[in-house]
Amino acid sequence: MRELVAQYLSRSISRRTFLKGLTATGISIAAAESILDSLAPAAQAQEARTAAEGIKVFEGTGGACFAEQLMASGVKYVFGNSASEDAQFYEALVDRPKLKYILTPHEGPGAAMAAGYVKASGEPAIVMQAAVVGLMNAMGQMFNAFKEQTPLVFYSYRTDQSGRAGRDGFEEVENQEQIVAPMTKYSWLARRPDKIPETVRRAFKAAWTPPYGPTYCSWHSDYNDEKTRAEIIVQEKVDPRMRVRPNPAEVERAAKLLVEARMPLMNVGDEVYNRKAIGKAVRLAELLGMPVTQARQVFVSFPQTHRLWVGGPPGNRLATLAFPKEPDVVINVGNKLQHNSPAPIVSRNVKFIDMRIDSASMGNVMTTEVPLVADVALGLDDLIAAIEAVMTPSIRQRAAARAQEVQRFTDHAKALKALVAKNPDWDASPMLADRVTWEIARFADADAIVVHEGGSIGLHSFGFDPLGGRELFNYYGAHLGSGVGTAAGVKLARPNRQVICLVGDGSFVFGPTALWNMARLELPVITVVYNNHAYSGPHSRVVEKVAGGRMVQTGHFIHDYLGNPDMNMAYIARGFGVDAEVVESADQLKAALTRARRATVEGKPYLLDVQVGRYGVAWADKPWTPPISVARERTKKV
Amino acid sequence: MSISSKLIPVVLLSASFALVPGAARAQQPARALEEAGGDALGRLCFQCHRASMWSDLRLDRRGWEGVLYRMVGRGALWNEDEIKAMAAYLASSAGPPTGKPAK
Repeated sequence: MRELVAQYLSRSISRRTFLKGLTATGISIAAAESILDSLAPAAQAQEARTAAEGIKVFEGTGGACFAEQLMASGVKYVFGNSASEDAQFYEALVDRPKLKYILTPHEGPGAAMAAGYVKASGEPAIVMQAAVVGLMNAMGQMFNAFKEQTPLVFYSYRTDQSGRAGRDGFEEVENQEQIVAPMTKYSWLARRPDKIPETVRRAFKAAWTPPYGPTYCSWHSDYNDEKTRAEIIVQEKVDPRMRVRPNPAEVERAAKLLVEARMPLMNVGDEVYNRKAIGKAVRLAELLGMPVTQARQVFVSFPQTHRLWVGGPPGNRLATLAFPKEPDVVINVGNKLQHNSPAPIVSRNVKFIDMRIDSASMGNVMTTEVPLVADVALGLDDLIAAIEAVMTPSIRQRAAARAQEVQRFTDHAKALKALVAKNPDWDASPMLADRVTWEIARFADADAIVVHEGGSIGLHSFGFDPLGGRELFNYYGAHLGSGVGTAAGVKLARPNRQVICLVGDGSFVFGPTALWNMARLELPVITVVYNNHAYSGPHSRVVEKVAGGRMVQTGHFIHDYLGNPDMNMAYIARGFGVDAEVVESADQLKAALTRARRATVEGKPYLLDVQVGRYGVAWADKPWTPPISVARERTKKV
Repeated sequence: MSISSKLIPVVLLSASFALVPGAARAQQPARALEEAGGDALGRLCFQCHRASMWSDLRLDRRGWEGVLYRMVGRGALWNEDEIKAMAAYLASSAGPPTGKPAK
């Protein structure tokens, strides 16, 4: 009863749950209501204090303290895999229905689902694993979150209890919290049960303070069971609110460079999407008649249907853009700039303005004429105002002429992009991956969300427009197996948008378990597996590195063929409770998409296992497989 | 990005193409198409790829057109004339072995 009273006074449980809890202990309903009445003054006083300060003192188990702090940190969903030493946390959730636990059958796709939810909702979540063994499975997605700068908090206890730690016990590894240090913003081991809320609080504060990134917290498992007393503090009270405005002197310099430029070019990135500053990026581009591109990122941060959008650089360097060929000023707004070749994304011979909150990575590769360390939403406001202040009729005229020049290119480019359908293999079966993408782009809702995890799939024909049109959640970190989980998390966050997951067969088999979550949680996602029964990317890159070598001469590629036997992804899906079918031609695909839509309208997920062709050097119709078989070594029929 | 030795013939071909008088080119339309394709290939493909990525590929003209149209799906902005010319050049210099199927 004491526990119930403490929970009620700390607003951890409702009046109804309190009454239910009392009657469950054998107290009559009349007596329970009387107790409730007697608590009213104390409850009101507590409420007033909590509302005023956002701080409360909570008494309970370490597990209950953990749950309390999660709620105070704004968490609605906990994504976890079963962990026996979290018993007191699970116990605490029974009477805290606001905190919803989503059981994920594998930590990797579970973490991807959490990351998808965080990215699509902008709200905090936590991923829980069982000790270091579960953590290891989640670390692939932790890496993705680190590369993407996703503010995702991870937790796992140390199985070794505090009284026996350091003896190489069951599931014990030394310095568990340090394993994740290179790819987290904060990793910490709470030293006492009452330090659990503080550790959790700091993990959320660090993750959600820009530049975003994953964090990790841990403690000995017995701390979950111990009774303790600790402060619970709401996120608002610890958030440093990194809404940084850029240096005004630098803003003026940037404005001058941009208005005087012959051909400025803007490169946008994820900070623009995350700060909901896409409209401001459009305003800046239109003000200057400035073409816009985007090097590889997670989101599309500028409408691809806009007349100033010149497409992404095909070689991920701005020099590979068809237009403009010689920009004299480049402004980067919120793009992390993933340099994948010795040549930097922005060439040295242009004046470079870099506007980002991630000051630590600015200037590491790019030489920077004007650094604008800022929240990009505020930075764009200030830059637009500074440019408007110096705009003259002649500058406006020049900007208008430049906008026309850009539009001539974008109109031409639109016609050239449509040529993808002229491929002589357009009607082939197995299908061209491009045909599959084209059919899905024709099928998708005008505001569909596409989750993409297919390294060998070109994403043409969608015309993404984050200002009310289609949106993209691209894979970036490249730890495979994120696509299906991400799509489930996105749908959880945005239930009223069509969500389509495009995934290669190689990626899919790393993380199909989130299909079960789609079935259980009634998340109607359409998953399309581009199934060529092979790792296309590694095949092409190996051929490139050893051109004309023995592999090409003999056709003996030991590393890339996933057939013999072929994997049937529809069977896999059905095993997780998701209806599915195999598709072999364009006509079949159109009909299958209609069935997929029907299923999702009824609230059910659906999967299409689409057979696509293998193209490239030295692919045989029936590729060679290494002659490894135990059949001839068997002497007993067992 | 360094220019690999496999690219050198293409570059040399492109350079020689520039020196051929226009009238002579008009007399040999097929040859001219191939040479224009070599020029386009050097100009358009090597900003993203090394030649070694496809130097082992042996395809007829239709097969090479398929390869090039797949690049359009990955962001290449080429017109039909450029694609035809590049496919002609590639089929001529990296066509299938005689008597063998195109793939």
